[in-house]
Amino acid sequence: MKRTVAVIVTLLILCPLALISYRVLILGYPLFPAAPQKVWQLSFDARVGGETVSGSLEAGLPSIHQGLAVLGETIGDGSLEFTLRSDGSNRIAAWSGRPDPDGTLITYRSTFRIPAGRSAPPPGASAYPSGVTEDLQRSAETIVADILRLPPAERLAVLATRISHAAQDRDPIVQNLIRTLGGETAFLTLLHAAALPSFAVEGLSLSEGSYGNTIRWIEVWTGSSWLRLAPETGAFYQQSALLLPLTHGNVPAIQSHGFDVTDIRWTLSRQVVSQWGLQYDRIGKSNRLLDQWSLFRLPQEFQGTFRILILVPLGALMICILRNIIGFPTFGIFMPVLMALAFRNTGLLYGIGIFATVLLVGFAARNSLEKLRLLLVPRLSVMVTLVIICFTVFALIGNRLDLRAFMAIGLLPFVILTMAIERFFVITEEEGVKEALRTAAGSAAVASLTYAIVQFEPLQLTFFVYPELLLMVMALQLLIGRYTGYRLSEFLRFRSLRRTRA
Amino acid sequence: MLSMLRQFRAVGLLGMNRRNGDYIMRCNPRARYPLVDNKVLTKRLAEQHGVPTPTLYHVIEHHGDIAGMNAALGDRKRFVVKPARGTGGSGIVLITDRSADGFVNQNGDRISSVDLAYHISDILSGIHSLSGLEDSAILEALIYPDPVFSSVSYEGVPDIRIIVYRGVPVMGMVRLPTSMSDGKANLHRGAIGAGIDIASGKTLSAVCRSEVVAVHPDTGHRVAGIQVPQWEQVLRIAATALDMTGLGYLGVDMVIDRERGPLLLELNARPGLAIQIANRVGLRLRLDTVDAESADAFATPDRRIAWARERFGTKPEAAP
Repeated sequence: MKRTVAVIVTLLILCPLALISYRVLILGYPLFPAAPQKVWQLSFDARVGGETVSGSLEAGLPSIHQGLAVLGETIGDGSLEFTLRSDGSNRIAAWSGRPDPDGTLITYRSTFRIPAGRSAPPPGASAYPSGVTEDLQRSAETIVADILRLPPAERLAVLATRISHAAQDRDPIVQNLIRTLGGETAFLTLLHAAALPSFAVEGLSLSEGSYGNTIRWIEVWTGSSWLRLAPETGAFYQQSALLLPLTHGNVPAIQSHGFDVTDIRWTLSRQVVSQWGLQYDRIGKSNRLLDQWSLFRLPQEFQGTFRILILVPLGALMICILRNIIGFPTFGIFMPVLMALAFRNTGLLYGIGIFATVLLVGFAARNSLEKLRLLLVPRLSVMVTLVIICFTVFALIGNRLDLRAFMAIGLLPFVILTMAIERFFVITEEEGVKEALRTAAGSAAVASLTYAIVQFEPLQLTFFVYPELLLMVMALQLLIGRYTGYRLSEFLRFRSLRRTRA
Repeated sequence: MLSMLRQFRAVGLLGMNRRNGDYIMRCNPRARYPLVDNKVLTKRLAEQHGVPTPTLYHVIEHHGDIAGMNAALGDRKRFVVKPARGTGGSGIVLITDRSADGFVNQNGDRISSVDLAYHISDILSGIHSLSGLEDSAILEALIYPDPVFSSVSYEGVPDIRIIVYRGVPVMGMVRLPTSMSDGKANLHRGAIGAGIDIASGKTLSAVCRSEVVAVHPDTGHRVAGIQVPQWEQVLRIAATALDMTGLGYLGVDMVIDRERGPLLLELNARPGLAIQIANRVGLRLRLDTVDAESADAFATPDRRIAWARERFGTKPEAAP
């Protein structure tokens, strides 16, 4: 028997562990979904206007192509028309139309998260930058001719050094190329000549602050990783440096056709967003099998119920512990759990107050009913009616006093209360008032504890993301089911045995 | 706490969890619970096994049968009405005489025939059975307790509880009503529990609400050292309970009738643990002793009784 239980318990612990490991390691779930996670918010504001009849403003936006998880976007377009289009790996927002005479304010806000591992950007262009003449291509090929045999990383290092020397007036050949093409195009030309895939990026340095200008950098593929360099100086960015790309290639981050654009401003800030929203967005966008079967895929109106429901087994586990290991007296087995659920509507203090009042009124009534010697079922019906009358009176009083908690009693607890009154009465009769009060206090304490657990949001979230944890809860419940040691309360109950033999 | 745990282990205290998990669930097949939960079935079984019980006068199963009660009673004046599935003594009415319009209970109060019929109707509706199921009412002979415990009882009827494991009587106690317990032999309510030496049938120390007491709080008489009459017969009834029910872990409740001697009152498939306090010794050591013995020592009730009397003797402690 013990071995069978041990095997089942082991299975019930290992299965969810495997599933959780798979979710964390393969699907990239957060290990602690409730741990505070920060996201970035980008705001882009600009004022367009001027004498122009009509025009358009195009701006590059952060996109999932850049390895970002975009969680939400809002757009303010004033009187202009807004369109969004994809241009290769770029997402371009365009505001077009006739601006107000004194200028129209356009805004864009985006919330996004940088995944832990930076994913690779899209492959770079495989041609020379446009506008580079064949002569210039030939001279670039001459420059790199003697380094073509080196491995890619070393080729890149040599080129970066030459660019930096040119910036310091120490490399006339490259300087010549730069003079003709400009620093960035010259660099990209050389990289292509050296067979290093590369492209230019315009974006922002990802740190909190407000920026009037973007920065540009070059991404180069060395065969094993993408490296980022400053085009003018040839300096490498550190691998850990956070950059937010807005556009790739020679698409500018901001492009105006006929507009006077003033007050361009990008603002980056870190924010804490609702954990629920974060998980919801992440899982909602995934088409993995496990994500398809996630509780987050339920319609919103049912999710709320399951957030609570999924913690009820934890409450039941608590009652197992309290009753079988500690030896706490409670009315019935699950009455405290149901009480805790009822408290969610009313709040803890009002809930306990209402329960205690109805219990006392009900007990008094039950005492008098005993003398009438009613049959069982009609007697319980009378008690149900009495409980409902109490609720009604509470609601009416609550309405007069403007106490919402008095009205929010809900449907569930009337059964619980009726049964609690019955149990209270039976215990009073059979074991005395003291025992009945002890049991009532025990039930209230357990209900409060269960309430605290069920209302604890990080726990709700964790179980909602990993419902397989329920199997572990079941494993613990099985273990307690085979616990044959003493209950803590028995130390008190049998203390006289100890004295005589000590 | 740890030293307490060690002391509990040393006296072999049986806790609630182990009682449920290792003894009741292992030894008591659920299918046989009705045999002990329903006193009518228990009585029939006892009859088949030659175990004496209070004489059964009549069983009322349907509301329509209540009217036939008088015919079944004949001219009997003294009887007990109890629910077949009652617990904790609820719903029991003792009738000691008849009056012009009905009956008289043990307190001398008059109960009209209508009131008694109403009470029986309550029993049939299941008011006194904890599960709330339909029940039947038993009319049986009134018990006149043997006077041996009258010096240490307050009203009521003292009863004897023996824990029987695999048919072996392992521990016993006598429950003595007090004024605190309202004349009921119910330890919860403050009755005295006195341990009984299995070997001799003499009472040992006594406890009242977990406190050791030497004398009965109402009568002032010493509780220890009283010889239970017909002890061998008490043990035999207890040991036969296994053959009756097939339940391996039982509480057997008996009374000693003045004329008929030990009578089986009821069986309990979930007997309480307070008997350990009354005996000031744990059950586990004795249960383990039983388990250590080879099964053929327990082939017949007589061998089980002899075996138990040999091993579970307790020397009475010096009077405090």
